[in-house]
Amino acid sequence: MRLKNHRISTRSLLGLLTCLVLLSAFAVTARAEGELGYRFTPLAPLQAAPDFSLQDMDEETHTLSDYRGKVVLVNFWATWCPPCRKEMPALEALYKKLGTEDFAVLAVNQWEDPDHVFTYTGDLNVFPTFPILFDPESAVSEKYRVKGLPTSFLVDKQGRLAYRAVGGRDFDHPEVEKLILELQQQP
Amino acid sequence: MGHSVPPARVIRSRGWLTSLVILFCSLGPQAGQAEMHRQVSPDTGLVSWKSSGDALDFELLQVLPDYVRAVFTTRGLPKPLIDKVSSYCVFGTILKNTTDKPLSYRVADWRYITADGKRHEIRTKSDWVAEWRDMGVAFRWSMLPDDQTFEVGDWGQGFTTIPLQPNDVFSLVYSWSQDGHTETRTIKEVQCAPEEPPNID
Repeated sequence: MRLKNHRISTRSLLGLLTCLVLLSAFAVTARAEGELGYRFTPLAPLQAAPDFSLQDMDEETHTLSDYRGKVVLVNFWATWCPPCRKEMPALEALYKKLGTEDFAVLAVNQWEDPDHVFTYTGDLNVFPTFPILFDPESAVSEKYRVKGLPTSFLVDKQGRLAYRAVGGRDFDHPEVEKLILELQQQP
Repeated sequence: MGHSVPPARVIRSRGWLTSLVILFCSLGPQAGQAEMHRQVSPDTGLVSWKSSGDALDFELLQVLPDYVRAVFTTRGLPKPLIDKVSSYCVFGTILKNTTDKPLSYRVADWRYITADGKRHEIRTKSDWVAEWRDMGVAFRWSMLPDDQTFEVGDWGQGFTTIPLQPNDVFSLVYSWSQDGHTETRTIKEVQCAPEEPPNID
């Protein structure tokens, strides 16, 4: 009888604790994600990222497949898009933190001209040092089936689409860095 | 035996704990407890509507016709097209999946209800693109996508266009699907932006 009562009481307590933990987790998650959030969606089955060759502001051509062996963050964006502007400093911070040996950022601008984008980047608090590429007819974003801006993909070292994030993200969040480091450790 | 808990006390404890569990659980967001908040921006005087407590966070922001003109002018769109878009009642729309499961929306399923009680379809991005094929790219990135599936943490934004006049009032019916169920919400007394910026005291 005593054991039975004890079990009932423990179960209630466990229920309460579980609920409190879930609520705390919810509150912490909501606070930690802030407006931009940090979660990426794993893509399965892994498929080859559509290859592309686009020019940067200096008219140098960047080809995605040339980055094979590195984890590549491909970010589709535009200057008029508020969350794109918001995530830009965090993207630069991540790029600086992870370096270029095993990691690359390719920010693919949609339908804008280099002069306009150059002026825009000069107005940002943090000047982006990663390549900004131009997709004037949105042909590349179409291949990636991007519906809204910003949208980002993580391409693994074998050139496969590993993760996707629709909407702005806090790229400087430890969870994003962890995800990239995990991808870097894969063959 | 001296340390055993009398049955009556166990029942009372259990009741107390159960009440606490229910109380704490009720503090979290639940389906059907959504609230719609109307706000007036102290900076611009423009109005926005935002839901909270739903799986889909939905925010609607008034956009001035001049702003719409400016957005499309900077993209080099032809004047007839700019005039047409800015003659619509335009809203900035921000949607976000707040849950741990994917959800989908389709603008074609949404309706607006005018003062006469009639329900109307909303003009989608594809409708605009079909009319102005050569300008498809510009519309592609400014209008709210026709349909999207938002995975965990995903969100999106874009213009929603309603063929009404400045200051007109209507109700917006929007919906989304999750786990095979469709949820529908109505924002009542949505007002189109005024022609001119509101006076701010």
